[in-house]
Amino acid sequence: MKALDDMWQDVPVASFEDLAGARRRLMDGMRTRRRVLTAPRLLVAAGVAAAAVAAPLIAGGGTPAYAVTENPDGTITVVLNEMRDPEGLRADLLAAGVTADVSFLAPRTRCADPRFEGTDPSYGSPGPTGALRTGVERWRSFQATQVVDVHEIRIRPEFIRPGETLVLEFRDNRNAQRPWTLGAWLARAGSPVKPCTPVPDPA
Amino acid sequence: MTTTREVVAADDATLIGRSLHEPEIFAVLFDRHAPLLHRYVTRRLGPGEAEDVVADTFLAAFQSRGAYDRGRPDARPWLYGIASNMIGRRRRAETGLYRAYLRSGVHPGEIAGARVEDGVNTLAVNRPLARALLRLKRADRDVLLLVAWAGLTYQEVADALAIPPGTVASRLNRARAQIRQSLGEGERP
Repeated sequence: MKALDDMWQDVPVASFEDLAGARRRLMDGMRTRRRVLTAPRLLVAAGVAAAAVAAPLIAGGGTPAYAVTENPDGTITVVLNEMRDPEGLRADLLAAGVTADVSFLAPRTRCADPRFEGTDPSYGSPGPTGALRTGVERWRSFQATQVVDVHEIRIRPEFIRPGETLVLEFRDNRNAQRPWTLGAWLARAGSPVKPCTPVPDPA
Repeated sequence: MTTTREVVAADDATLIGRSLHEPEIFAVLFDRHAPLLHRYVTRRLGPGEAEDVVADTFLAAFQSRGAYDRGRPDARPWLYGIASNMIGRRRRAETGLYRAYLRSGVHPGEIAGARVEDGVNTLAVNRPLARALLRLKRADRDVLLLVAWAGLTYQEVADALAIPPGTVASRLNRARAQIRQSLGEGERP
């Protein structure tokens, strides 16, 4: 019916801006629900000695792919049991106050670079040079993220400045003793992080 | 390799299934269907209501996604069914819009920009149409506009509104007949 078609054509498809408010409401609603679901796990964690960080995170019934815990000292613990659901991990880190980009990589691959501009020379550095060794002690990319156990990293938000993105690239090692290798860097504020394109990396 | 790449190719039912364990996946469904749903709601209720209805629709869908029939790869009938209920709750806004049309001949969404130049045509064509849409029973209007504007098939409308396909056909025939009759009246001197 042409009259109806004409009437329809008068209204353009919604733009990104038109939809931003509705999308934000959906994301907020989803996050609220997710927080409610994860709260019992956090309560269990809080009831156990703070030093025993790994055990309580898995005590929520079944083993989750990952667990994100905000610690009383302001740091964030991430236990990674399985390399799946990078978007979920990213969203949970965001809920904990850390803007992150998470990629899970197959063995012998890495993300093609450069994906972003780093806050320090650690990203794209050619190898273990003297500068890199010195940088380990003072570059914020290293200070912001530490691997503290076989399945566990600790994030220290005090070293992440507003607008920066914590970029985490986990590579599967297929090895129970050393399940993954982590590349962790800070992307400069204003530098968007491109999606990860896996490429072969024999190293 | 990444989740992003996987979900781009996944059908709606797969995304909804995955969102049970990975809630954020549901945002992909929003990005896929919200632009046209927003347009549909804008056309029916005006731009002032569209954001709320779209947000309410997707939130309601998110909360009830566990009951989604994953044998249906396309989620549009489900989403437009929820949206139709939301629109139904705002019947006054919809009928108010058609009445505004009858007064001015201009949709609030068309006031800005180039549409002003087309105002004469809009007035000529849409006033009788607005009057006809205003006169339709709500159930008939839902069926007609889901077909004409949302582009759903008879079966999809039946799924969306939880009515038999035969009822879709009879409501559609009735609505079209009334529209034709009203437009004919509008063309009379």
